[in-house]
Amino acid sequence: MSHNAQATGLDPTLVAELAAIAGSDGIVSRSAELKVYECDGWTIEKCSPDLLVMPRTTEQVSAVLKALWRREVAFVPRGAGTGLSGGALPVNAPVMICTSKMNRILSIDLANRRVEVQSGVVNLHVTNAVKRDRFLYAPDPSSQQACTIGGNIAENSGGPHTLKYGVTTNHVLGVTLVLADGEIVELGGPAEERCGYDLLGAVVGAEGTAGIVTRAVLKIIREPEGHRTLLATFADVEAATHAVSAIMASGIVPSAIEMMDQLIIRAVEDAFHVGLPAEAGAVLIIELDGLVAGLDEHAARVTEIACHNGASGVRLARDETERAGLWKARKRAFGAVGRLAPNYATQDGVVPRTRLPDILRTIQVISRKYGLAIGNVFHAGDGNIHPIVLYDERKPEEVRKAIAAGREILIACVEMGGSLTGEHGIGVEKQGEMPLLFSPEDLIAMSELRHVFDPLERSNPNKVIPRPGSCVEVAAPHRQVPI
Amino acid sequence: MSTDEIVQRVSLIVGAGQVGAPTGRAADAVKILSKPGDAAELAEVVRACETDRIALAPLGAARTLSQIRSLPVALGVSLGRLARVVAYEPKDLTITVEAGLSVGELNRALAPARQRLPVDPCDPDATTVGALIAASHAGPLRLSEGTTRDLLIGIRYVGHQGHSVHGGGRVVKNVAGYDLMKVLGGSFGTLGIITEATFKVRPLPEQYAMTRLSFDRAEKLFAAARELHDSLPLAHLEGLSSAAAYACGSPARFLLVAGISGSSSEVASLRDATARAAPGAVFVERGDALHAYARLRDFDASAWALTAQIAVAPAQLSSILAATDAQYLAHMGCGVATLFLPEPPADGRITIDGWRQAARRAGGYLRILHAHRSFRGSVEFFDMPNDGALKLMRRLKAAFDPAGVFNPGCFVGGI
Repeated sequence: MSHNAQATGLDPTLVAELAAIAGSDGIVSRSAELKVYECDGWTIEKCSPDLLVMPRTTEQVSAVLKALWRREVAFVPRGAGTGLSGGALPVNAPVMICTSKMNRILSIDLANRRVEVQSGVVNLHVTNAVKRDRFLYAPDPSSQQACTIGGNIAENSGGPHTLKYGVTTNHVLGVTLVLADGEIVELGGPAEERCGYDLLGAVVGAEGTAGIVTRAVLKIIREPEGHRTLLATFADVEAATHAVSAIMASGIVPSAIEMMDQLIIRAVEDAFHVGLPAEAGAVLIIELDGLVAGLDEHAARVTEIACHNGASGVRLARDETERAGLWKARKRAFGAVGRLAPNYATQDGVVPRTRLPDILRTIQVISRKYGLAIGNVFHAGDGNIHPIVLYDERKPEEVRKAIAAGREILIACVEMGGSLTGEHGIGVEKQGEMPLLFSPEDLIAMSELRHVFDPLERSNPNKVIPRPGSCVEVAAPHRQVPI
Repeated sequence: MSTDEIVQRVSLIVGAGQVGAPTGRAADAVKILSKPGDAAELAEVVRACETDRIALAPLGAARTLSQIRSLPVALGVSLGRLARVVAYEPKDLTITVEAGLSVGELNRALAPARQRLPVDPCDPDATTVGALIAASHAGPLRLSEGTTRDLLIGIRYVGHQGHSVHGGGRVVKNVAGYDLMKVLGGSFGTLGIITEATFKVRPLPEQYAMTRLSFDRAEKLFAAARELHDSLPLAHLEGLSSAAAYACGSPARFLLVAGISGSSSEVASLRDATARAAPGAVFVERGDALHAYARLRDFDASAWALTAQIAVAPAQLSSILAATDAQYLAHMGCGVATLFLPEPPADGRITIDGWRQAARRAGGYLRILHAHRSFRGSVEFFDMPNDGALKLMRRLKAAFDPAGVFNPGCFVGGI
């Protein structure tokens, strides 16, 4: 039985009321079935909700939240559960509200370049819906085949192509938000300017603590006329990172620059056989897009810069199949790592691009210090690293080391002028590290902002901002691993 | 508290030489002008104002303030002494600056590395970074580069109790904590006073050229704008009615101005494609194009009797422009336009209500940028958000400014 069920239990009349709102197929209450929802992509910590509700409409979400509000029950929103920081972990929130049944694309307006969706729509489905007309939805997280727009809004998700096109907040124009007390609020709209304070901007990236987003108006963009996708091979990550800085300083803005190190290259190649150079110390996947007229010139320039910075070879994808193969390799890298160890924890730090060599050296030192293998596959153009710490959860000592190693990496990111997270949020994982980045005054202001939406902290409680005293007070009750 | 008493009080903090009567446009915005030397002095000023319930506002947005307030605020804070580049690393494409620096100065700091902040407000040398953010200014490049909202990645401001608060950081990707940049952006000094900002910057394009197309009828302008926007990745696309066209040096009834930029081969390709898509296009290149662009960007709508910004879903913009008697300069691809009238209307309120209803019907809103003194006191400058959103906005104001001293009463719904 989960921690929450032990701690709270749920009033049977509440369960009946929620079932009446969401329908009997919109409720999951058996503990065996709830185990599926005991964690998101941050698998180190687990706890099941007491009840899962899957509404289909904004009105149902509102009715559900009103019922919870009356009984002072907290809830946690969940999209597809692909988050990597435990944002969807039901900490002190017995009821989980999942948007998976709110998966309709409501309208496509090509003349205005807008798409209106329910928040449970899968990210990739937006692009698929407009692809025939040569449009796309730009934010493309690696999990885009599974993750939802609502989850993307909660985490302000990025992805490889956000180097040129920006992250989720740059592509969301309006949302319907249901506040914790069930009130439905419309923020933003189809226009590019907003009326009054930019509350929409505050909701994006609020990690589900502002309420539940049920509908979103998204901007779509024209597909670029052409692409050039390059695979540059290096003897080590240091040379590759210098090449990244040199490319960025050259005046060319690639749409993506992704890096994979030796460990990841091997894992991907073993799993998918996409033709990566298995002996390379690091590779960069560099994509340029835009007018066909400028692409060959830019590709030649990038090739020259990469070679000047130590690339032993630069291969241009000859056709769409080769290009798709490279992206498949990149986007499935996390899955491939599953072959290397029973468990892995994906970190999400950021450093200024110019500090990439420093942070990668530091990660090597940390890897040796804890005796854990750490692979690196990340958005090099943004300085957004994703060290993947390999461990075995059956060995408590390794779990402890994995958590400690992750923490040291994040501290190093902050010390180098970076941040704790680039695209996966604070969740429960990084609450304790927030004071490394923010002063008490900063955290109080953020807390005040959160309370504008949810003064009693009923929506995704105990997330993002550490409680005064210690993060341990917040985190300890739900941890089911020995740390 | 009397004016003299406020001067005395603030002089003790910033020094007697740094407090005095405002001149020029600032006099319309504030009764007293103060110039703190750094953020610590500003924090003390804020604390004093909260204690004595003195309303204060940043003067960087003075141009905007003087145009939207009916009465000047008690104390203006100039950030003219906070005008440094704090950190700039060209290879990271980020820059951190103090809020009193002008956007023009900022871009001059970036120029040696051939980079720019592509926000492009009207008259960048007269627009401070603080005003850029707080008043949410943007220029023609919003079509290709986005707005301040998209480029601001870190912020520091002095909030209530004089607390120096920061959000975001100096890296281009960062989702640690809540997005204070968004909340302070466009807040018109009502939540705190911005002291420092970090932006993503972009490389300067190798080349820029401008295409001009003249029309005798607005419908032709709209059709050409649609065709160009649908077929080409443009740097900007502006539709101008006669008065705006004249001010930008072109005697046309209706003028369409499209910008193309990129490498020399990209610009050559775009030039050919534009000529095919828009027969009769006149090209302006190199220095002439930059000069013409500056005139377009710096078109100052505040010189007119009534000026408003309208923002709607982009495809709805043409029908609104077609239905109005106002002059305009419109960002055709973005659904954002500046409407203006040369003479004060017979009844300003009726005119504004008409514009406002048209904006709402098209899914957008209207904000008055400038109104003639004769009717400034009688009009609502900001469109009213829906009830739910307004309630949250009032809560936000109460949380961030519990003493109610930051530029009170001038924002949406009297916030």
